[in-house]
Amino acid sequence: MSWRAELVATWAFALRSLLMASRNVFFFFELLFWPVVGVLSIGLMTRFLHLGSPETSFVLIGTIALSTVTVCQLEVAYAVLYDVWSKSMKHQFLAPIGVRHLTTGSWLVGTGRGLLVFVILAVLARYAFGFDVLAAGGPGLATFLLGCFLTAWVVGVFVCTLVMQFGTRAEASAWASVNLVLVLAGIYYPVSILPGPVAALAAAVPLTYFLDAYRTHYGFAAEFAYPLTTGLALSAVYLALSHWSLIAAIERARRTGQLLKMSG
Amino acid sequence: MSAIDARDVTKTFRAGWIRRRETRALRGVTLQVPRGAIFGLLGPNGAGKTTLLSILATLLVPDQGSVTVLGHDVVRDAAAVRRRLNMASGNASFLWSLRAEEIIAFYARLYGLSGRRLARRVDDLVELCELSEYRRVLYNELSTGLKQRLALAKSLVNDPELLFLDEPTLGLDPDISVRMRQRIAALRRERGMTIVLTTHYMREAEELCDKIAFIKGGRILAAGTAAELKRQIGIGDVIALRLDPAAVPWLAEAPGVLRCVESDGRVECTVDDAEKRLPELLRALHAEGIVVRDVQVTEPDLEEVFVELAR
Repeated sequence: MSWRAELVATWAFALRSLLMASRNVFFFFELLFWPVVGVLSIGLMTRFLHLGSPETSFVLIGTIALSTVTVCQLEVAYAVLYDVWSKSMKHQFLAPIGVRHLTTGSWLVGTGRGLLVFVILAVLARYAFGFDVLAAGGPGLATFLLGCFLTAWVVGVFVCTLVMQFGTRAEASAWASVNLVLVLAGIYYPVSILPGPVAALAAAVPLTYFLDAYRTHYGFAAEFAYPLTTGLALSAVYLALSHWSLIAAIERARRTGQLLKMSG
Repeated sequence: MSAIDARDVTKTFRAGWIRRRETRALRGVTLQVPRGAIFGLLGPNGAGKTTLLSILATLLVPDQGSVTVLGHDVVRDAAAVRRRLNMASGNASFLWSLRAEEIIAFYARLYGLSGRRLARRVDDLVELCELSEYRRVLYNELSTGLKQRLALAKSLVNDPELLFLDEPTLGLDPDISVRMRQRIAALRRERGMTIVLTTHYMREAEELCDKIAFIKGGRILAAGTAAELKRQIGIGDVIALRLDPAAVPWLAEAPGVLRCVESDGRVECTVDDAEKRLPELLRALHAEGIVVRDVQVTEPDLEEVFVELAR
């Protein structure tokens, strides 16, 4: 496949995601309602508990990360879920495309939507609670966002794998799995307070390291050595693993007939 | 060279973790489809038609056997095959919030079309499938007939050499079915496309297909042209004669006559091939001095072949 064809196929999925997002009211809630409610309720709770500025920043970083990762991850998962819901799965796999087109196209739109959520929440947090996302500086913020979006990509692709494997029975994982990952990554607390085995699991989540690195800019000591390098390395490994698992799930679906079951 | 060459293809579906259930969908199917032909796959529900079509279209992997499509092995060289074929289903389904033209464009992009080429292809297909009026209508607002037309338009985005049509006229009104069949015939005539279609409708198969395979229980029971199938099944043509005198005892023994029945002063002879036997019979009757007052020839339709084979 030529580079041009690669880009066009990726753009096809990105444009499809954009069109679908722009025509569904539900996406408005995903983009604005739930994230804003989340930041407001957590921010107000920090006031009620009389938390100091560093602690408030610590918790709000987690809250904003939660919404940003969720929105981006859902967009990746929708790449497969749209076809499951509309029973049109077979048509795209009849075309000479690869998994990379599907996941990259939807991830790019997810990144855009995640970025939009992040900006909205950053503005809200700045004016409502005095939390400044730019205190970490441009590079610090950029790597944090990159970490969020890479984690979302990995989780989204694993959700796609589960849906390809189990069909609609696995669609709840689109909403459940990201929350599990975020709880492990320590959105509202340092992972050092987690029980031993759970802390070990937390250490396997890339976002744990990106949160850790970002929070150092707000006066918290790093819990891990080389958090950015570790986070990026883990993300690369999981991205490869998740894509391999999705390819394997599609191949299995071609053997078992699952691909046809998910089509009209 | 065949467009499709499938040999001894088997496929079994397995389900259940504890109580394993097995469904043998295909049991050694062998099939050749010549290039440029319209080939019909006929059979009752659950016969294995869609399974076979899906294997040929690389959507399913066969358990055993070999399948070559347009010179490529469908398992080892699936990507090359996919570039050159496409498929439309009778009960097609696409994303509910996309407009008709956006659906065509989305699938066209998956084949690398962009810019002016993409716009031109979408326009052409919208026109070809008479969707101009509906190109900006959302998919879930289209009628069944329009959805079928959209499915056909989508299946032509890559100008395929081989087109699979799975029940293309399913659920359509008769007048729309007729136009759909005309469109399918035109695709072969104008673009030289090889078309494989599954159908329940005998008239559709008889009207469109050069060759037909009848599949049941995962096996191909008979294959050939409509005429060949009728002969293979042996249900024969019927020659109805009004004779004077009415009773001719030796008719039932004449060469090629399978049986004779007398009713209402007419003799109905079932023969293996009316075109060949009618002149012979008329000559023999004339030689015996028997007056033939009326002759009617009826060929059995494919429906009868279907009923016979489906038993």
